[in-house]
Amino acid sequence: MQNPSLNRRSFLGKSLGTTAAVAGAAAADMTLLNALAQPAVAAELKKQQKSVILLWLAGGASQLETFDPKPGRATGGPYRAIPTSVPGVHFSELMPKMAARFAKNTAVIRSLNTKIADHGGGATLMSLGRRDEPSVRYPDLGAVVARELARADATVPDYVSFYAQTEGRGSAVGQSGFLGARYLPMFLTDKSKPDNLERLAAVSDLDHKQRADLRDMLSKRFAEGRDNAAVGSHNQAYARVRGLMASDKLFDIEQESQKMRDRYGPTQFGQQALVARRLVEAGVPFVKVGRGWWDSHGENFETHLELVPELDHVMSTLLDDLAERGMLENTLVVTLSEFGRTPRINASLGRDHFASAWSTSLTGCGIRGGAVYGKTDEDGQKVVDGEINAAALFATIYEALGIDVTKEYHVGPRPIPIVDNFAGPVTEVLA
Amino acid sequence: MRNRDAYRRFVAACALATFVFAAVALSASIAPANNNASSSAAPAPAAALEKLQPAERPIAVVVDHYIDARLASAKVQPAPAADDANLIRRLTLDLVGRVPTPLEVQEFVASRAADKREQLVDRLIASEAFADHQVNEFDWLLMQGQGNLRGYLTDAFRDKRSWDTIFRELLLADGADKESKAAIEFLKPRMKDHDRLTNDVSSLFFGVNISCAQCHDHPLAKDWKQDHFYGLKSFLARTYENGGYISEREYGLVNYLTPAGQQREAKVMFLTGRVIDMPKQAEPDNKAKKAEQEALKKLADKKLPPPTPKQSLRRKLVDTALSADQRDFFARSIVNRLWARLYGQGLVNPVDQMHSGNPPSHPELLTWLARDTAEHGFDLARLMRGLVLSKAYARDSRWPSTERPAAELFAVAQVRPLSPNQYAASLRIATSDPEMWSKLADDKTRMQRATSLANSARSWATSFAPLTDNFQVGVNESLLLANDARIWSEFLSDAGDRLVGRMKTIKEPRGQAELALTTVLARPADAEETQLLADYLSARKDRPLEAARQIVWSLLTSSEFRFNY
Repeated sequence: MQNPSLNRRSFLGKSLGTTAAVAGAAAADMTLLNALAQPAVAAELKKQQKSVILLWLAGGASQLETFDPKPGRATGGPYRAIPTSVPGVHFSELMPKMAARFAKNTAVIRSLNTKIADHGGGATLMSLGRRDEPSVRYPDLGAVVARELARADATVPDYVSFYAQTEGRGSAVGQSGFLGARYLPMFLTDKSKPDNLERLAAVSDLDHKQRADLRDMLSKRFAEGRDNAAVGSHNQAYARVRGLMASDKLFDIEQESQKMRDRYGPTQFGQQALVARRLVEAGVPFVKVGRGWWDSHGENFETHLELVPELDHVMSTLLDDLAERGMLENTLVVTLSEFGRTPRINASLGRDHFASAWSTSLTGCGIRGGAVYGKTDEDGQKVVDGEINAAALFATIYEALGIDVTKEYHVGPRPIPIVDNFAGPVTEVLA
Repeated sequence: MRNRDAYRRFVAACALATFVFAAVALSASIAPANNNASSSAAPAPAAALEKLQPAERPIAVVVDHYIDARLASAKVQPAPAADDANLIRRLTLDLVGRVPTPLEVQEFVASRAADKREQLVDRLIASEAFADHQVNEFDWLLMQGQGNLRGYLTDAFRDKRSWDTIFRELLLADGADKESKAAIEFLKPRMKDHDRLTNDVSSLFFGVNISCAQCHDHPLAKDWKQDHFYGLKSFLARTYENGGYISEREYGLVNYLTPAGQQREAKVMFLTGRVIDMPKQAEPDNKAKKAEQEALKKLADKKLPPPTPKQSLRRKLVDTALSADQRDFFARSIVNRLWARLYGQGLVNPVDQMHSGNPPSHPELLTWLARDTAEHGFDLARLMRGLVLSKAYARDSRWPSTERPAAELFAVAQVRPLSPNQYAASLRIATSDPEMWSKLADDKTRMQRATSLANSARSWATSFAPLTDNFQVGVNESLLLANDARIWSEFLSDAGDRLVGRMKTIKEPRGQAELALTTVLARPADAEETQLLADYLSARKDRPLEAARQIVWSLLTSSEFRFNY
């Protein structure tokens, strides 16, 4: 694996050469830390910080009641299709707000064929962008984005993940695989804040700080003559503690005005989306917000009548909010599930698991607004144009963020391409 | 679409091929990769075996012979031997999974016996804690934190069962009796996916991850073709679970598609290419299969075992893999895995990539150790004992000034992170009252107390990241140690049986600092660090108890404590 500090330096060299030179800090061994002391450089860095907010629709949202409606067909269900702001493109009538905003910053892919239609397998595939393989522990999307976009000395978390109620703990937990624990998510369950961000009352702030200094001095003595990446990560993990603790306010929506909180709405999903915006604003590269209960084997239409308008509202509010803050061009908002739902409506008026022809949306950073890629047949049973798999979707996400999709990691001597099988991005949806 | 996928696979295969080429080019010592006979995985030719070090030589001596030879040819002078305190810490962590107690360190350092290291190793290996530690290690290796194999492994390691016995029992378990009920926990969770089972068996027991041969022949590493993957799968594909029992069907052929789209029927073939001739067995028709299903369902409802097959292909696999002329894979893999555990990296890395494109750093040593292990009944305790008695194992981990030599030279000891179990157990031992140990009657009682303390902390293990390649510590761990209330109450408690409680009884800062250092770090304190901590304690005279706690915290979270060095 690449040395993170080297990586940091080359990033700095590539993107900030001029600014750094102006700042007069052209020393050959300049570290990012030095650079950050220069306000101009810090501001420039902050602007370039790209992030992802993943809206994870756990259980499998129906493409027919969202981005790929089939009105008037036996598979279409009771809802109408409404025109979007792109002529000729229709969404389900349950998504009026996103339909109105479609042309601006959002692209839809209607041609995912991911083949795995059980929750565990589907969630794993859509988290890793590849089939799980015995003996190689792959990192998930959040870990890869954190690895590629996080700064080594960041005082904010690299990867935050909110647990959605019906996700199933097994598949919900993020996995950093061979990238190492540095890129594991801070994982939130029922609490709105990650664990252990607050100092115990029993330890005074001074003691908390001074014991960390003692620890640091002892550990530095130990590290002499023992150059070792794992030891480095240990010291780095402790060096980040106090900075992360200072970030606890990011998780506190009380810091937002009542008006802003009302805008997102009183649901847990809405409030977590607001926290996600706060985190991204502070420089967190990857936030996953989960919304459960999509697994509508029975009463699909009732379920979607409740969930899709909420998604429509929260997502459009989030996009508006990001755009108003000038953040949308650097923030990629993705909707994704483990799979879609069957066009066939079952006896309980439900739709079952369906991985052969389903949809996803990408908005913001690097995305061509109003683009539609791929096509399903008139009943939505199969992809007739532009079929892609999970790997191609991941390549598209990476490309949109400016991450090199041909990059390889190394596990021992074995090269692991960042995108499975070197799949290429869907350039049609990229700006 | 299919064409594009095939093309992408081809591109991926080519990338892999490039890396194998590079590996071949870098190593002058191996033959071209297309020469099957030179495969590192295949048994060494008789002529090569004759040139090996004599079979009767002690393991440790042979280890040093080959390691030293390579160091000499690389013109690298190895690091000096680790001091006694360092060595007993390393050995205690490696063999019983915890740091030594201050009394153990003191006695070992003070001992003048010429064979004190052998005595220590034998004492640790003879203890129950040795078996418990192997349970932790093998449970992680075989189950990766899933399933429920601990019960079986506990029996197996307390009984000192050999590795071939464990392999046989895990693969042949049917769940019919109590013992075998515990052993089926290896197969049971793997019954849903026979491809995965095939690869797990292959990489865990034979050191060969052949998953990439599932879709196409391994690029350039000529050892692995689709035939090998599906050949191995053929041994396992008939195995099924029914009503909590494991059994095998009498029939079942494995078919697969070549990249060119041809359908092929797999032979029942071991990794060496050894084919098991099977009498033609007709596939039952749908009606017969349906009847079989119904019969199985009835048995499951009554909680009765399914019928036993006349012949078991799993048994054929075990018999083949352990037969004298085929057991090299099995022997080399366990040697390499234990070597990696004790030396910080395998003789072959990664440990599941033992093929001709990825040669060992010390080929003769691996061959000698594999032969030795097989000839001595796959006795793991004996093998580990030999490995930890070498000079190479006992080197200092520091390499000041110049660049560290390549890890595969084993010129300097590696710094290795503690496993979650080692860290949890060590936190508990190191925060116990250091004076307690000398009050216990004898060594046996002390070992038992240490074991029960270590076990009481086991639930902490799930809080720490498991060991992986490129291991890193994440902020989840540092935040936990820094701010979790249970960490504070459990490890910084000032109760009478705890380190902080004992520190309270000492008035003088230097004395307190020294006690904390020697207890947590399991070595004598040096002047500079004692001064550092004593100064802190002196400056915090207003709240001495809190100051003692912070000192202990800074030691528990120090890299020195977190790693085996």
